[in-house]
Amino acid sequence: MQIISHQHIFLGIAAAIMVVSIGIIAVLGLRLGIDFTGGSLTEASYVERPEKAAVETALDDLSLELGAYSLRESTNDAGQPAFNLRTRDLTEPERQTVSATLTGLGVDGAVTRFTSIGPTIGQELRDKAVWAIGAVAAVIILYVAWAFRGVGRPVGSWTYGGITILALIHDVLVPTAVMAVLGVLIGAEVDVLFVMALLAVLGYSVNDTIVVFDRVRENLLKFRQEKKVMVKNEYGQPEEQIEYIPTKPFAEVVGLSIDQTILRSINTSLTTLFALSALYFLGGSVTQTFALVLMAGVLAGTYSSIFFANPLLVLLAERNAQRAAAKDAAVVE
Amino acid sequence: MSEPAKASSERIIRTFRALFMLAIGAALAWFVYTNATQPDANYPFKLGLDLAGGAHLVYEADTSAVEPMEVDELMGVLRDVIERRVNLFGVSEPVVYVEESSFVTDEPIQRLVVELPGVTDVSQAVNEIGRTPLLEFKLLDQERAAQLASTTIATSTLGFSDPYVDTGLTGRYFERADPMLPQNSQGGGFESSPYLNITFSNEGGDLFEALTRENVGEQLAIFLDGELLSAPTINEPIPGGTAMITGNFTAEEVRNLSENLNFGALPLPITLASTQTVGATLGAQVLEHGIAAGIIGFALVLAFMVLWYRVPGVVAMIALLFYVVVMLALFQFMPVVLTAAGLAGFVLSLGMAVDANVLVFERMKEEYRSGKDSREAARDGFTRAWSAIRDGNFTSILSAIILFWFGTSIVKGFALVFGLGVIISMLTALTVTRTLLIALPALSYQTDRWGWLYNSGSKK
Repeated sequence: MQIISHQHIFLGIAAAIMVVSIGIIAVLGLRLGIDFTGGSLTEASYVERPEKAAVETALDDLSLELGAYSLRESTNDAGQPAFNLRTRDLTEPERQTVSATLTGLGVDGAVTRFTSIGPTIGQELRDKAVWAIGAVAAVIILYVAWAFRGVGRPVGSWTYGGITILALIHDVLVPTAVMAVLGVLIGAEVDVLFVMALLAVLGYSVNDTIVVFDRVRENLLKFRQEKKVMVKNEYGQPEEQIEYIPTKPFAEVVGLSIDQTILRSINTSLTTLFALSALYFLGGSVTQTFALVLMAGVLAGTYSSIFFANPLLVLLAERNAQRAAAKDAAVVE
Repeated sequence: MSEPAKASSERIIRTFRALFMLAIGAALAWFVYTNATQPDANYPFKLGLDLAGGAHLVYEADTSAVEPMEVDELMGVLRDVIERRVNLFGVSEPVVYVEESSFVTDEPIQRLVVELPGVTDVSQAVNEIGRTPLLEFKLLDQERAAQLASTTIATSTLGFSDPYVDTGLTGRYFERADPMLPQNSQGGGFESSPYLNITFSNEGGDLFEALTRENVGEQLAIFLDGELLSAPTINEPIPGGTAMITGNFTAEEVRNLSENLNFGALPLPITLASTQTVGATLGAQVLEHGIAAGIIGFALVLAFMVLWYRVPGVVAMIALLFYVVVMLALFQFMPVVLTAAGLAGFVLSLGMAVDANVLVFERMKEEYRSGKDSREAARDGFTRAWSAIRDGNFTSILSAIILFWFGTSIVKGFALVFGLGVIISMLTALTVTRTLLIALPALSYQTDRWGWLYNSGSKK
């Protein structure tokens, strides 16, 4: 109940989180990876890594027009020192020249990874990512509105769907902001894996929100009384109708539902975080950013389902009640 | 039946069900284990190129010059042609397949994906694949053939190693080949099996006429990329620039042959659009790290469940082991290729898979504390938690389907693992956890000394 009685604070925090996240994303921006822009990424590993400056000089001396490239020192999955070179999309002969240049320096150099993505594939992946996220969001709002269709009062089923989507936006903004920060700190790039992480966050977040809503739905049915009233039907004949009178205020029902589900929300997010931290600390370098982004998403999702979605539900219900009261008052006058 | 007898027979059924369940799990685990460890297993794990090491090449085909109707057929032929060339490399189990861009692109783009396990230097592969193939007509020299057949000395001393003689007639003069079916019903047809009609260009027609006039009775061999396709016998001089190739062909063979001939050159111009290579040792490292992360993550999840939920936690542990075994079996059975992303998805699912159990246990605890015995509380817990499990998982499954539908191969792998994970974790919670919990002796929270075993958390 504490959560609902302090709903304005928690809603304020959620709003602040969203604003800050948007600010971070707007200021820092996201670094799009070659999956989306097209380009080539070469990882050359060494027993002894050459000087970065020497590699840069060698690359600049090539007669290829490499344009702007970025060369970063890194460690490959076998623990060897390595360089990551990101360039424009390289053709096969260009790849051979660049590979030879990279491996010619240092001790025992070898190209351990090479990825080249043409512009059309990059474009398609970008469009696909936007489509996929949009489609998932649309399906979710439709399903939630449908699943909660019988709930009716004091808020309609579309409100549940709409709030689920708002919570989703909250949960996606946070990991995206984390990604923007990681981009500045370690040069993390938005790639297909990031989009997958976001979609997984979507799934997780909805699940989390729905579990609480489900309890609200159940408790609304539990805390109500049947009352038979006589109304006139369309022919003016008296007819018996059943009305339901809630025996508990909506805010209390929601508060109770949160209390009943909060342990489950925390426990499931804990086990998920356990698995993700194992992935972050022990998993391969490929999926490290993926794990970090997901952790941010899971934390945001847990927060939003408890402290954002449900307080917002109560707020909207109160709005509705006020509006209905104002309407009644107007009719009486 | 008397009341105690009925109760005891119910107990036997409950216990039997639980044991049966455990036996299935053990059998499945044994199956997974043998498949994973035996070198010649029927259903091994299939590792993606980013884990096994190798090259992944994506070509884009230019279909602007052909009719939309023909695109599918041409792509099929293109695949066959490239597959034949790739097979010549001696790479073990190369994979060549056609992929169409999804509808988000304005114009559908036809792509050809070539996967070469173990190849990291793609220069040779790229050159071979992009090469223009050679269609050749050669004459079978009977003398040479006889010599080759009779001699036992090294063929190098003969000055030739095969019995065929170049004729100068190549794919350059060839216009098209049409598969023909026998037309016995029209009376004039004398072919009893499907045959092939070849049309040459004007120049090629003259060459062909001269060739056939001079070599009646000889065998004319047709080669593609140095591989003998067929060697029909020349029955008579053939004017007019068309030829009929008969033989004991099936309709299928004739169609393949005509495709091969028609597209001796690549049917569509292709360009290399994307290359990905991963070194084999690096891939193995990624796999090793992924497995380590999976095992440790799983152990953490299990430890938490047992410590927090006690007896139900142990049951959840068994259900989760069941989940892992079923998932691994599915990876072996289904055409799922494990990639780094898929592995990450699986590790993620290990954390999320407990959700249905957690939902039920929390519900069960409420009922249990309110005075029901543990078995009744478990039954009610499942009934009450069902709507939340259903609605929550259904949206996840929908997301996975959309992801799968949109995705390129890497996303598809992840989506499949994610979607299967949701479904299987739900099913194992509903079957394994339920059966085992109900089979355990019923305790009461209030009166039994061991009642705390079904309670959870730190309170009371």
